[in-house]
Amino acid sequence: MDRRGAPVDVVGVGRTFALGDGEVVALRGFDMHVPAGGFTALIGPSGCGKSTALRLVAGLDTPDEGTIDSGGSSPDEMRRHQRIGVAFQDPSLLPWRTVSTNIRLALELVGRRHDTEAVDELVELVGLQDFEKARPSQLSGGMRQRVAIARSLVTDPDLLLLDEPFGALDALTRQQLNDELQRIWTARGTTTILVTHSIPEAVYVADEVLVMSPRPGRVVARHTIGFERPRTRELLLTDRFHAEVEAVSASLHRSEGQVVQLDTDGSDGQVAQLDADPG
Amino acid sequence: MSATADTAATAPTRPAGGSRLDRVPPRVLSSAVGIGVLLLWELLARTVYAGSYRLSPPTAVVAEFFEFRGLYLRNLWHSTKTAAWGFLWGNLAAIALAVTATLVPWLRRSIGAVVLTVFCLPFIAVAPILRLITGPGNATPIALSALAVVFTTYVAALLGFDLAPGSALDVIRSYGRGRLTAFRNVRVRASVPALFAGLQIAAPAAFLGAVVGEFTGAHRGLGILTVRALGALQTDRIWVIAVLSTIVATGGYLAIGALGRFLCPWSPALDVGAVPVARTEPGLLNRLGGLLAPIAVVFVFWYAFLWGFGIEPFFAKTPFDVWAEMFSVPEAAETRSIIFGALGTTLWTTSLGYVVGLVGALATALVFILVPWLERALMPIAVALRSIPIIVTTPVIILFVGRGLLTTTAIVAVMSFFPTLVNCYTAMTRTPEGILDVLKSYDAASLANVRNAYLPTSVPALLASARIAVPTSLLGATVAEWLATGDGIGAVMVTAFTRNDFKILWVSVAVLTIVAVIGYSLVAAFELRTLERMAPGTAR
Repeated sequence: MDRRGAPVDVVGVGRTFALGDGEVVALRGFDMHVPAGGFTALIGPSGCGKSTALRLVAGLDTPDEGTIDSGGSSPDEMRRHQRIGVAFQDPSLLPWRTVSTNIRLALELVGRRHDTEAVDELVELVGLQDFEKARPSQLSGGMRQRVAIARSLVTDPDLLLLDEPFGALDALTRQQLNDELQRIWTARGTTTILVTHSIPEAVYVADEVLVMSPRPGRVVARHTIGFERPRTRELLLTDRFHAEVEAVSASLHRSEGQVVQLDTDGSDGQVAQLDADPG
Repeated sequence: MSATADTAATAPTRPAGGSRLDRVPPRVLSSAVGIGVLLLWELLARTVYAGSYRLSPPTAVVAEFFEFRGLYLRNLWHSTKTAAWGFLWGNLAAIALAVTATLVPWLRRSIGAVVLTVFCLPFIAVAPILRLITGPGNATPIALSALAVVFTTYVAALLGFDLAPGSALDVIRSYGRGRLTAFRNVRVRASVPALFAGLQIAAPAAFLGAVVGEFTGAHRGLGILTVRALGALQTDRIWVIAVLSTIVATGGYLAIGALGRFLCPWSPALDVGAVPVARTEPGLLNRLGGLLAPIAVVFVFWYAFLWGFGIEPFFAKTPFDVWAEMFSVPEAAETRSIIFGALGTTLWTTSLGYVVGLVGALATALVFILVPWLERALMPIAVALRSIPIIVTTPVIILFVGRGLLTTTAIVAVMSFFPTLVNCYTAMTRTPEGILDVLKSYDAASLANVRNAYLPTSVPALLASARIAVPTSLLGATVAEWLATGDGIGAVMVTAFTRNDFKILWVSVAVLTIVAVIGYSLVAAFELRTLERMAPGTAR
């Protein structure tokens, strides 16, 4: 399959929010590089600014400092050229629309209202053929999330941004959707950034797992995941999978303890513990 | 408004761009608008409307108040006291009915029908009938004031009892305890926020009831003062009364709101102004029973009212007397032609104002959503105006617009406009952030946001407002016709009232009430169907 998609380069990004009379520094010195067609997972403790980072890349918010670039375009340009697909933890479907018309919404917004083929293709891809006419209130949580994923993909975006899209689902459904996500990504080659709380999920689907520090959020560790694709559920039972999960877990614990690690863990060149305090 | 609260915590440290007016603090903006309106008002009254008996300049209103402050304060105190008694009795009755409807579910529809019928009564014509029982004293305004609050408080209290978490009720049931325990331990506590939201709306409504009660022959109070001032064309006096009524009604609204927040600080602001209609049970028998049982209950109340108070047959008319007047006595054809002819005029002018008010409100809410600085400048004024019963300002509108057919239309439009605006705008601000983010991620145009998010989100609030506006519009229309225009069924009623023609008065009250109930029910049916079609399974 051809590899489409835009690379994402985030350099020195900071973002501060007003909170009452004071302020909250959500991100400071946030760096991230995702190659074109890559699949990166962003993981970190609660409130570390993962979602803020994703919103900045999506052009839904603008950074106070630093730059974000996608192959020469800013996030705002990417958004204005409608090259981005997003899905959040809340599927955010329009309750008055059916499954197909919810998916079609994205096409309508990019001026391809009559591309029914694309809708049908996505409905099939996420396995909702028998529910095209159903409304969100008649679907299960997992099915709603599939609709949201289908909507984010239907415009064939160069960049797919997922903010814990499966966070509210049970473990079984979640695993099923992770398999589908992997399949879709393999088929389409869209650059994908996934924000998640789940280490096994991140290790299972992504090429690279970035571990963030508590607020103000920065990337403190980078794990390259080298498992061959397609990855199957058997992988979940292997020791190398567990070892990888352990490694990411250890990075996360170190980041939560805010232990400053300046050395790089060079055991096999796969884990890089990054500079913890830039200033 | 809740969206504003939600995003406040994560508001950017710098302005998000857009208009420079977005950076002006809301309080400054709305104060500036308020002062601007006052200045413009003064200017217009001194120039264009000078000597026209339409608009009093604010300075003259203040001067008039201080010159006759004894008179105003005495009557204001009287009307406020009346409203307070009505507020007390009406709310006690409404809460008792809501408790009964919750504990005895099979009585619920009948109680609902009676409460709705009371809400649909043309209060202005009910006053002379009540006066037959109560005599010339203060009891009629108190009774009307009580009747004016029953519906809103009943709806709010019922909603509150229903809002009790189902899991908590299950816990009680799992210990083998019944409805009464569940009611005492869970429902009462859970109902407090909704109840206070209802009482908040009831406060201005009670004041409205008191003033309308005084319109038809009280000895004291702002109502009778208004009627006299209208007759003598005392423009300044009418404006003073309108301003005083507004202040007292708004004060009651704010005071009860503050009390509610003090008593249940954990609860978010509840809006009971636009409660969606409740689902009805399917099945022909249920529907038939649902129709006949309430009518029977209303008849029982009607007879109980006549017999209980021992009203003389000359004044007392039973449902069958009304039927005979309309269809079997020799003058029936003439009565019908008078009533239906006048009703036609009323319905025409009312519908026009109703549609203008609703459409205007929806359009304004959309403009407010798309132009935030305009919303921040004008919304506080709209919220304040929603809290006051527009009917008490009817005399002012009569002065300003004149005494033509348009007066009725204007009053109805203003009456339906403000509640609908506030309800629709509030609903639009509750559009889920996620949906707006999805739209923004495709750089959707404003119009696409309106079509896909804001408009559909506001539909339930719009329909609920449209339903509530049916009886209030008819009430506003009849008050305007009674006081000023000399057209429509309001004029028929005032003529009957002055001639002591109680037959026509009863027939008019019955016909108007039926029309309001039918109108309300039609909108309710449409509302239910639309909600079911838009988002199946979400109707209450």
